[in-house]
Amino acid sequence: MAKPMDRLETMPVSRRSRATRNAFRAWSLVVFAFLYVPIAFLVLFSFEDSRTPGLPFTGFTLDWYTSLPENSQLIGAVANSIVIAIIVAAVATLVGTMAAFPLVRGGIRWPNAARVAFTMPIMLPGILIGVGLVVFLAGTLDIQLSQLTVIAGHLVLTMPFVILIVAARLQGFDRRLEWAAADLGAGPATVIRRIVLPLIAPAILAAALISITLSIDEFVVTFFTVGSQLTLPIYIYTQIKFGVTPEVNAVATLVMVGTILALGLITLVATRGRRAGRAVVRRVRGGR
Amino acid sequence: MPDDLPAIELVHATKRYGDTVALDDVSMRIAPGEFYCLLGPSGCGKTTTLNLIGGFVPLTSGELRIEGQQVNDLPPHKRNVNTVFQNYALFPHMSVARNVAFGLEMDGVKGPEVERRVDEYLELVGLLALKDRLPQQLSGGQQQRVALARALVKRPAVLLLDEPLGALDLKLRKQMQVELARIHRQVRTTFVFVTHDQGEALSMATRIAVMDAGRIAQEGTPQEIYYQPADRFVADFIGESNFVAGRPSQGTDGPVLELASGERVALPAATASLATGEEATVMVRPECVDVGLEPPPGPGWAVIRGRAIGVSFLGDLTRVTVVTAAGEVVASRPHAERSRAAALGSLLDEEVSVWWSTAESIVIRQG
Ligand SMILES: Nc1ncnc2c1ncn2[C@@H]1O[C@H](COP(=O)(O)OP(=O)(O)OP(=O)(O)O)[C@@H](O)[C@H]1O
Ligand SMILES: [Mg+2]
Repeated sequence: MAKPMDRLETMPVSRRSRATRNAFRAWSLVVFAFLYVPIAFLVLFSFEDSRTPGLPFTGFTLDWYTSLPENSQLIGAVANSIVIAIIVAAVATLVGTMAAFPLVRGGIRWPNAARVAFTMPIMLPGILIGVGLVVFLAGTLDIQLSQLTVIAGHLVLTMPFVILIVAARLQGFDRRLEWAAADLGAGPATVIRRIVLPLIAPAILAAALISITLSIDEFVVTFFTVGSQLTLPIYIYTQIKFGVTPEVNAVATLVMVGTILALGLITLVATRGRRAGRAVVRRVRGGR
Repeated sequence: MPDDLPAIELVHATKRYGDTVALDDVSMRIAPGEFYCLLGPSGCGKTTTLNLIGGFVPLTSGELRIEGQQVNDLPPHKRNVNTVFQNYALFPHMSVARNVAFGLEMDGVKGPEVERRVDEYLELVGLLALKDRLPQQLSGGQQQRVALARALVKRPAVLLLDEPLGALDLKLRKQMQVELARIHRQVRTTFVFVTHDQGEALSMATRIAVMDAGRIAQEGTPQEIYYQPADRFVADFIGESNFVAGRPSQGTDGPVLELASGERVALPAATASLATGEEATVMVRPECVDVGLEPPPGPGWAVIRGRAIGVSFLGDLTRVTVVTAAGEVVASRPHAERSRAAALGSLLDEEVSVWWSTAESIVIRQG
């Protein structure tokens, strides 16, 4: 086990650079406040008693949370979002993982150009993708906008992330492990199943979780491709048109908590996944 | 399997990577049960040779036979050959026991038989106690032994080892050399062992192929390679050598080598047929060379005069460097008793003679 690195003694500093340092420190606090104070108020107001959120705080209530399940429109939107996210994550992970292999392993022409082309949608503005999809799907192919078109739009967004994450993992993969497996009598399919997939599993899992998060949060592309259905971000948007309500604050707070949990899980999977996985395996084995 | 069938046979094997010729028309026959060493400097094609035999890269031309069967196009998982990779290539997500069991599972060996053989081979490499550890919880030497057990447990016809001791410190290395030799005697599998450490090759191999730039410079037993190097490259690469160049001619007591200074150095009688007048080089190992103020009297000695310019005390022996008309000659003398070290030490900056028995002279090709 790695020992935590000893904290390095800081170099001696002049009075002036100490002052500069303190100024930067203060500035970073301002930036943090700018980032998080609005969110803090969002969470705070989701517990606000009054129907019109605002200072001063009049009283604490959980009503906005407890009444959420009775809002059938909201529940429908959440269900829609979850179904879409799961399908998007499954397809993006599967296709993206398969696409990552030739990108890293060669066997295609111009791999670098291909990589840029595959990951370009990350850089493109969402509104461009949204308009493009509407023009293509509804305008050209004459397809009715529905959950399916939303899924198509989200795939455009999430697939590049899957490819990037899995390709990065494959890049560092020691091919000699595959040689060794083949050497010991494993055919190509067995090598993938027993050696490659288990070793890149943390990356695949992280990619799937990121896809889910991206899909649930996505507003712009969804807005263009959704038709008459509602997803969670679209629902929140429609509500907010009539002024911010405490229900929206509560929903937004829940979404935020969910996202933080998912991100935590991703980090855990990506950094500790293998170790944690092994610990579980050991425990299971030991228990037998 | 009849014993005269070679375990591995390369016939005019060539491997090119684009413009680089990694292996250039190499032929070799390795008999069953041999401990065959591929020895050579970096980039000479050792790993390429193993990768060809293992089936990880295809031959450009020529033929590869394993136990008499032509296997040029057989994928690795169908070859009766197993490899210990230079970096061990243990599966990091599997325990030691699972690593070793992997090959057996691929062969369709079932349950208790797998466990039994895994235990047997972990016992052989002395790691039974660590069978539930993961590879990264092992030291380098232990990982190496797991890699060995993993390959051996399949009882392959041939075991390929690519510098398996390269990453180990000297002590562990010596220990593993002994262990490998023991395992080889015990399992009687053909070993093809890659190294660029000549000491390792000399001490373990039954036969050595010295490689140079994609070709085999010489093939032979360790003693043949050491005492009868085919050319200057081999002589230089294996051990330390003194080279004395001159023109052969006929002296009063037999053939001699005439140096540029006019000095005449006796040659072995068997070399009388050397073309006179043409440049020739004689090689002699430093440990065969003696040094002193006066040479021993009588025939049978090759003698050159010179000046001792360096004396280094190395504990068990002293190396004396002498500048002669034929260039520097190094004498490496063991001290049977401690006064001998002092005597050799006193030679520094003296006019001395170096001499050796003419039987130790080897006439070699330039190369
Ligand atoms: N995949 C490859 N592509 C191109 N050239 C290669 C490749 N593999 C090896 N070579 C070249 O082939 C030659 C032989 O390489 P090889 O790996 O067999 O050397 P080696 O004898 O094992 O050296 P070392 O002792 O450094 O491991 C080298 O010149 C090397 O650059
Ligand atoms: Mg090599």
